Amino acid sequence: MKKRIFAFFMVTTLILALTACGAKDNTTDNASKNTTSDTKNTSNDTKSSDQVDQTSGDNTLTVWCWDPAFNIYAMEQAAEIYKKDHPDFVLNVIETPWADVQTKLTTAAASGDLSTLPDILLMQDNAFQKNAISYPDAFVDISNSGIEFSKFSSAKVAYSVVDGKNYGVPFDNGTVIACYRTDILEEAGYTLDDFTDITWSQYIEMGKDILSKTGKPLLSCTAGESDVIMMMLQSAGASLFDAEGNPYMVDNPVLVQVMETYAELVSSGVMIEVNDWDQYVGSITNSTVAGTINGCWIMASIQTAEDQSGKWGITNTPALDGIAGATNYSNNGGSSWAITSNCKNVPLAVDFLANTFAGSVEFYETILPSSGALATYLPAADSDVYGQPQEFFGGEAVYSMITDFAGKTPSNNTGVYYYEARDAVATAIANVVAGADINAELQNAQDTVNFAMGR
Amino acid sequence: MSKSTRKLSLVKRQKLTGWIFLIPATILIVATSFYPMFRAFLLSFKTGIGANMKWVGFYNYARMIKDTVFIQSLKNTFFYLIIQVPIMLILALILASMLNDRNLKFKGIFRTAIFLPCATSLVSYAIIFRSLFAVDGFVNTVLIKLGILSTGYNFLGHPTSAKIIIIIALIWRWTGYNMVFYLAGLQNIEYSLYEAAKIDGASPFQSFWRITVPLLRPIILLTAIMSTNGTLQLFDESVNLTNGGPANATITMSHYIYNMSFKYVPNFGYAAAMSYIIFLCVAILAFIQMKVGDKRYEG
Repeated sequence: MKKRIFAFFMVTTLILALTACGAKDNTTDNASKNTTSDTKNTSNDTKSSDQVDQTSGDNTLTVWCWDPAFNIYAMEQAAEIYKKDHPDFVLNVIETPWADVQTKLTTAAASGDLSTLPDILLMQDNAFQKNAISYPDAFVDISNSGIEFSKFSSAKVAYSVVDGKNYGVPFDNGTVIACYRTDILEEAGYTLDDFTDITWSQYIEMGKDILSKTGKPLLSCTAGESDVIMMMLQSAGASLFDAEGNPYMVDNPVLVQVMETYAELVSSGVMIEVNDWDQYVGSITNSTVAGTINGCWIMASIQTAEDQSGKWGITNTPALDGIAGATNYSNNGGSSWAITSNCKNVPLAVDFLANTFAGSVEFYETILPSSGALATYLPAADSDVYGQPQEFFGGEAVYSMITDFAGKTPSNNTGVYYYEARDAVATAIANVVAGADINAELQNAQDTVNFAMGR
Repeated sequence: MSKSTRKLSLVKRQKLTGWIFLIPATILIVATSFYPMFRAFLLSFKTGIGANMKWVGFYNYARMIKDTVFIQSLKNTFFYLIIQVPIMLILALILASMLNDRNLKFKGIFRTAIFLPCATSLVSYAIIFRSLFAVDGFVNTVLIKLGILSTGYNFLGHPTSAKIIIIIALIWRWTGYNMVFYLAGLQNIEYSLYEAAKIDGASPFQSFWRITVPLLRPIILLTAIMSTNGTLQLFDESVNLTNGGPANATITMSHYIYNMSFKYVPNFGYAAAMSYIIFLCVAILAFIQMKVGDKRYEG
């Protein structure tokens, strides 16, 4: 009798444990993709609940985005401002890392079942073209919805425009800035002005001098990623694809110049390559390098080194030598809000976005001080909050400076096959740095992208 | 006559009971494993972006031959297979026979210590290995202090050393796992055999090679097939340790399939076709191993 009770008890416990695990896994959908490989669902790593939230209620919007200190914070502030005029509005933010947003979107759209998608999701600008073209049924066209796209920097809006239609509301700023440790520059006898409005050859000259006097390179980057190359390309308004969508790498004079500049940066020691993101941020905060060039979102990482307050200065990026149309402005990253076709109340979503992200200077003033979230909303640049001097960066009004840069950034043609082209170029530059011929590598890269495009 | 009919129905009833126990699990496996595999096979004959697929027959398979990145990933994966699996299995065998020694003290601690790496998360250990072998990481710091190097060597930035780091990481992680299998198998070998060998004057090496290995043949076969299967499907290390390595020098087939499905413009038909190539490789290698393993055992 005792054995039976014990057995019964064990069986119930095990069944309960099984169903508890089962409930969590039911919401992730990986059926037909890779049956022979061991798929550990990446979405199990998100700390939030994996509950499938259908859009519910007339005045509720569900949003997927990442980064509690930045995007989620901004969304919640937007909800507060919107609630002042619409008291019964409810916002439901589900924290989802970008990789998971991409995976969930792909899974939902490929299976044809869009009901698992939220009302609004945040999408990296670089992935916008790819997703909007691959899954045209998943997004809502908001071109004529009353959102004033002219108030945003045109280069930024262009990322979410497909076939002349707008699909996204621009959000955070990826405008490229060049940050320098002014104390190290001073040690070598240079000032921030020496690095403003310069070309890459001047940058390398001064960089070599600073390297010999202080032993510090001017720049670090992650090996195997082509961020630096893409930034340099866009600063001259060039892209990896031409207007018809064909890969434009071989005989692309801007790209050849960019690769030569990159190779020289590495061989002269002015730029060091590290292996991953953590080492990259570490090289900045440990004073291993005397500066960095990246999207303005890097400021949050720089500011984690509190003891370096006041020792940093910001200016624009160097321009390419001898290229017509070369500028000192570029872009790296940034994201936009997209409304999915699963949204049951599109007018509400449009109204919400139009009155906050696309219309409220007060909103941008609120989120700036605590999160450093910079806008691409041009009227916000004139506000006082943006004009306040930032002690960390030498007392300059860097936020209005950066918003000003954003307005001058040339747009580029991301293309649908952006990630394939990016990776092909990263492979090419890794080989060039190891000594291969630039034109041969560009040919390989272009062949790889052509293959990926199915030609 | 009644006796024989009673016997038959008893046999039938036992068989029926057996089937009743098997059917739920069989249905589940067919529905959740075999049916998706069948659908994936059908998918590999289609091509298209995202959800727009059309039938194209063997186009995907023919296309793979011209895919330089896929060929590179194939070479990389087989490189890991040929170098890592034998080293790991031999190491596991040696460790198992050492730990099977009757007179060894603290056996439990050694076994736990060697098995512990298997309990770690694949992602965490790959990330830790990555930071260990960074240019200013622990390994370089030690080598510089010992005077072997003057500046840090970029292990993960050079193709050959990146591959070797992945092999080292794999050996560290999976040796304990295979060692446990061998330890279990060694319990079935009678100690008297070793005693007899010692009396006849056999060296430890000879008793290892002539007694242990032949008697462990079924287990060695099992671990070889499992390791081959695991190495051919390698994913986590490629993504987290080297991210495909300097210029695709360490990318594996599964990593490329993931990129093809989620990072690049999604072409699920092509990805499914590549998965089937992996399946084919594993099936062929397993078949070869079983043929080799079984024949010698019977002979």
